[in-house]
Amino acid sequence: MKKITILTLATICFGMMAFTSHSGGIFKTNTGNINFFSHTPVEDITADNHKVKTAFDATSGKMQFSALIKDFEFPKALMQEHFNENYMESTTFPKSTFSGVIENIAAIKTGENGIYKSKVSGKLTIKDVTKDISTEGTFTVKDGVVNAKTTFVIDPTDYNIEIPKSVAGKISKEIKITVDADYKHAH
Amino acid sequence: MKKPIFLLILLIALGAFLYAYRAYNKPHTDVASTEAAETISASAIFQAFELDDSAAMVKYSDKVIAIHGLLLNRDLSNEKEPQIVLEGNGYDGFIRCGFKPKYLDKLLSLQDSTTVHLKGICMGMNGSEELDLLADKDVVLSNCTLID
Repeated sequence: MKKITILTLATICFGMMAFTSHSGGIFKTNTGNINFFSHTPVEDITADNHKVKTAFDATSGKMQFSALIKDFEFPKALMQEHFNENYMESTTFPKSTFSGVIENIAAIKTGENGIYKSKVSGKLTIKDVTKDISTEGTFTVKDGVVNAKTTFVIDPTDYNIEIPKSVAGKISKEIKITVDADYKHAH
Repeated sequence: MKKPIFLLILLIALGAFLYAYRAYNKPHTDVASTEAAETISASAIFQAFELDDSAAMVKYSDKVIAIHGLLLNRDLSNEKEPQIVLEGNGYDGFIRCGFKPKYLDKLLSLQDSTTVHLKGICMGMNGSEELDLLADKDVVLSNCTLID
């Protein structure tokens, strides 16, 4: 009888831990941030998207992003027009996606406050061109919210983004992409 | 004779400079003062994108659209762009509407499960069937403003 009681209590405790610690399962947000930045001596260009859809599986490490190209906001309307119409053709190619894996997911304890270094690799698709990318970043867990940050660089020509010679001096050949997202456990 | 020609060239150059300067610094669309190109329900615009994403992009994207729909929730997790979510298809489809932070107080005063009327610039549909973790879909509007 005593054995059964202890076993029952242990099962209940284990079940409660599983529900409260969120150490596994899907973490998601629809309000992730992506910034891109181009620096040249002539001009700095920056744009932000604050409605990036992204999720990761804290058990398998699978990680995905989807961002609408038109939703990148530039300080200047003309830059935004050129970006969408001339370079990204965003009506034809409306989304950029990433599908990959957090390689060291076992080391990231989503149920415990802390800062964890990570390595994410996978496939980035822009303008229907898919390339392998790999980047290092940081996961910060605080009170159930998991913040992920990373910065990496892409070459626009890898993704069929052609920069006309007339403006080549204003747009860098290396575009810095910064990702910053606060994930919550998806119920 | 030379003086008038010089003045003419100067005027043309000045005009070209002013035109280029104004084009370079033209402001973003002011949604509040722009008449909506289309007035449509949240469910109808979601259905349009669900049926034919490409055709809906051509028809609605980059345009100021007036939308009315049932408020499901307010997503204020990104302080740079507070958002509200309207019902799209009653299941896994939504309308996500982003606002400038100055509208935060107005968004806080909205009541869940009431019909909301707003205008915003349509950006397209986010989400992908190929990405299993992101299978739910949002038609996205930005720079939104509430219609009284």
